[in-house]
Amino acid sequence: MHTTAVGNYPKIGNRRDEGQQTGAPVAFNPNATSITTATATEIATLPTNLRRAIALFDEGKLTAEQLAEVSSNVTAVVIKEQEEAGLDLVTDGHIRWADDQTYLANGIEGFTVSGLIRYFDSNTYYRQPVASGKLTRKGSILLKDYQYAVSVASKPVKVSCDGPYTLARLSQDEFYGGDIKAMALDLAAILNAEAKELLDAGCPLVQFDEPSILRNKGDWELFKEVMTRLTEGLDQTKLALYTYFGDATGLHGYFDLPFAIFGLDLTPTYGKANWGLINEFPQHKTLAAGIVDARNTKLESAEQVAELIARLPENINRETLYINPNSGLEFLPRERAQEKLANMVKGAKGVQ
Amino acid sequence: MAQGLLTTSVGSFPKPAYLLEARNRFAKKQITTEELAELEKQATREWIDFQEELGIDILVDGEMYRGDMATYFAEKLAGFEISGLVRSYGNRYYRKPVAVAPIQWREPISVEMFKYAQGLTQKPVKGMLTGPYTMMDWSFNEYYADREALAMALAEAIHQEAVELEQAGALYIQIDEPAVSTRPEELELAIKAMAVVTNGLKAHTLTHICYGDFEKIYPRMLDIPVDQIDLELANSNYDLLELFKQNTFTKAIGLGVVDVHRHTMETLEEVKEGIRRTLEVIPAERIYVDPDCGLKTRTVEEAKEKMRIVAEATRQVRAELAR
Repeated sequence: MHTTAVGNYPKIGNRRDEGQQTGAPVAFNPNATSITTATATEIATLPTNLRRAIALFDEGKLTAEQLAEVSSNVTAVVIKEQEEAGLDLVTDGHIRWADDQTYLANGIEGFTVSGLIRYFDSNTYYRQPVASGKLTRKGSILLKDYQYAVSVASKPVKVSCDGPYTLARLSQDEFYGGDIKAMALDLAAILNAEAKELLDAGCPLVQFDEPSILRNKGDWELFKEVMTRLTEGLDQTKLALYTYFGDATGLHGYFDLPFAIFGLDLTPTYGKANWGLINEFPQHKTLAAGIVDARNTKLESAEQVAELIARLPENINRETLYINPNSGLEFLPRERAQEKLANMVKGAKGVQ
Repeated sequence: MAQGLLTTSVGSFPKPAYLLEARNRFAKKQITTEELAELEKQATREWIDFQEELGIDILVDGEMYRGDMATYFAEKLAGFEISGLVRSYGNRYYRKPVAVAPIQWREPISVEMFKYAQGLTQKPVKGMLTGPYTMMDWSFNEYYADREALAMALAEAIHQEAVELEQAGALYIQIDEPAVSTRPEELELAIKAMAVVTNGLKAHTLTHICYGDFEKIYPRMLDIPVDQIDLELANSNYDLLELFKQNTFTKAIGLGVVDVHRHTMETLEEVKEGIRRTLEVIPAERIYVDPDCGLKTRTVEEAKEKMRIVAEATRQVRAELAR
């Protein structure tokens, strides 16, 4: 059994010493000329104070490079937090990402980024990508971030991002004439190249998130084609497909998709029906059980986590099983996110 | 003289610079609660005076004392704590209410400011509440078994506050439910919770709903047990009127005629045309003209200009009707 996170992690904390945490490996250069207008206190608290750094960047008082440096430092901090919580497999927390859609869209030719729109049924918003031309790859998006994360992590690092179908669904289409399949297939080709590059660089696992298919089950047939294109020529054993905020019932043959690992939302709020679905989970595939609720602060105890794991049906292979929250943790205050992970790990260890 | 086409506003106005500064200083503990409250009253008085000068019919206090519309009430109800910072979007963070124990009404929350504002004018001032569905949707829930249980507990508490406002003289009580359009499948819950809030009230009750995918909740949303539903028409180019042609809008409407998310000003003619088009589907006595939403996101000057346009356009259409 392994424990992991799903993707994003809260970018800022609430501790009094926020911004003064040590352990960040990259020193911030307080003598850089462009921040001469920032006060001494501000500079002292900058190395891991991303909120302040972004505000200063927006005011033109930090350069993009300086902001990137702060983001790197915070990435190191959140990786350390995941490791302290005891995770076996960590993510970079998407600290550099303005949101899960914008960061990818900015790296893809043909996308512009438009106004704020609600992210599913949450109280968070993202800037909506707009496909105003054919979507093509302009260069690698995720590789450098992966390499940085590896350089500061002591545990293995996986990479997670929106899958092509979800990215297409969450975007506006001004080019494909409403042909969601054509748009998703172009994105699949781009993300396939991203994954190939990551796997070649030694990334142990690339995870694609496709929550949108749960709300558009009528697209199941075209979704299968998009997933085939996404995974073409890649080592399936290193690919994961995650969905959340709903259940995957009614998607006939879902676990036959070309992935080794399937992440399912098993929280009572969103994933009740998935508990029935996993009775038919195939032996040769790996379940990633989303049993900790990343959208509510209510803390699952280690005992509750252990109980939920014990309740998983017998056909689930305990050895390969992943335990994780149902989705990225950014809906939560930072401290609660870490507490949730720590209890999750304790619960999983209790079972082992 | 034509009846109806009363003018009003949705709730919030921008806080003047001196109040923003005072709130900052208060957060740093440089001024006292009393000092801050004095400035909040000053700003409230200025907005009441402004609405009086424009001849607005139903006034609001402008919410000078509020930070967030959910947290403001949660802080004063038993059973809530306030969370650490969570992200809304980009670099924007806020604190969310967390239900950690039974939610109970403890003491009047909004009544004192209502009385203060109402004491400044002969015109009616609206009592302003955040609805139970929205309070639930915008909170973390660590205590109740599910969303419904939390929403219904909130409904009882908010009902009590509504009763207090009515006893304090409120003729209009607005219960905002901006979250209602987020999950169409939960509209029935929002209706059930609102029924508890408005139960037995004699005041004119209304709810403000926004960010809407209204096609999914109309006409079902007409079952929300209030007298008036306040909607944003301007920012969707009055598309909602098409829905109203298919299914009659059976309540009074709060007709949003200026977009609060745009810096640019609507022309007088645009707003008048919007009101005239609405008059084709809803009679004047059931139309309350106002901005799309709270104006707090605009500058003080922009907010005032938008209100001037609302008042003037309505005045001119009323004159047309009287001819």
